[in-house]
Amino acid sequence: MTIGKRFRASTLGRSVIRNPNRVTTRDRAAGHWSNFFLHIYPVKIRRKEIYFRYSWFLGVASLALFGSLVVSGIYLMFFYVPSPTTAYGNIQFIQTQVPFGQYIRNVHRWSAHFMVLAVAAHMARVFYRGAYKSPREFNWVIGVVLLVLTLLLSFTGYLLPWDQLAYWAVTVGTSMAAYVPIIGEQVSNVLIGGQEVGSATLIRFYVLHVALLPTVGVVVIALHLWRWRKDSMLDTEHDQQEAM
Amino acid sequence: MAEEPLVVEGKRVLGVVPGVPPVGDRKIPDEQESVMVWPHLLVRHAVAALAVLLLVLIVAIFFDAPLREIANPAVTPNPEKAPWYFAGLQELLSHYHPLVAGILVPGTVVLGAMALPYLDRNPDRHGRTRRVAVATFTIFLVAWIILTIIGFAFRGPDWGWVWPWNAWYGEL
Repeated sequence: MTIGKRFRASTLGRSVIRNPNRVTTRDRAAGHWSNFFLHIYPVKIRRKEIYFRYSWFLGVASLALFGSLVVSGIYLMFFYVPSPTTAYGNIQFIQTQVPFGQYIRNVHRWSAHFMVLAVAAHMARVFYRGAYKSPREFNWVIGVVLLVLTLLLSFTGYLLPWDQLAYWAVTVGTSMAAYVPIIGEQVSNVLIGGQEVGSATLIRFYVLHVALLPTVGVVVIALHLWRWRKDSMLDTEHDQQEAM
Repeated sequence: MAEEPLVVEGKRVLGVVPGVPPVGDRKIPDEQESVMVWPHLLVRHAVAALAVLLLVLIVAIFFDAPLREIANPAVTPNPEKAPWYFAGLQELLSHYHPLVAGILVPGTVVLGAMALPYLDRNPDRHGRTRRVAVATFTIFLVAWIILTIIGFAFRGPDWGWVWPWNAWYGEL
């Protein structure tokens, strides 16, 4: 008996892994229902949906990049204090003193750029497949919310290095808020916390970037995937059309 | 004690294999039939996720994230560039009033995208009857990509036109 089999046969092993070995179709289904990480997946899916040409795997690519951003972002958080007096020095410290600091920062930056591309491409692919149509209308709406969240996450992160690039990109980006009709000045003040980008803006963007937006993002992603799972076999209208 | 070997037509049978003959019974997969997610979809998702992560990990080896001088509110760089995904918006902003380019256009695009499944009630998914929807979406997509590329790579000091192979002002 291998170590894995012995563990699964033990009292401890049976309490941890309650699903049977995946021998039959029934076992595989049981494995799904008893595994937290797999329960976001449907048990069965149409054959056409497993191929690259169907989805180009852009949704799972977006999720993988989000995971990469969470992991690399948490590492960077250990070495970063969001204040104009410390932020820039912290980035220099990360790049020169922290083990793998420059590399992890590169991973975070590139994952962010690729995630914007992946999410936008996912949206286009879903459009051309006509997959937003009944009964999946609302999941498309949730997807648009996720695209906006991705852009906001990327934009709030852009300010954090507190260099000239970050400062002026965010100044340009937030200056548009002032043109909102009637309440433009208030919107601008809430967004950047004053008349110009400064320490109040940095702490606001930081909290949005590391706490509020990722939390909202995780919840909305869960909703998006849950609806995807629920709708995975609901395709009757389409079937009838194909059969005709 | 060894069991007596089973002999059929003078030959010893070593085992019985249930199932299909090796030829003549090839199954053509039905696209609409359901298959188990474990392993068919999971293994593909795992490969896709690892491929994307590998791409990021390799790009991160060769290209460092930029870090310019410390932020200085007194020194405005020329050009001031928004992040690349807002470069299309910034390009639009150079042509139209900020209320139009900064609020109305992006607001309409986001709300229009959300309303899309409710506006497009055609149940057809890939037939010729989708021409209007496909053409509209494609025009928006192509226009947005062109604006983004112009704003990202073709704009220099004072938002003037530059050729990216002469002078590079794009920032990532």
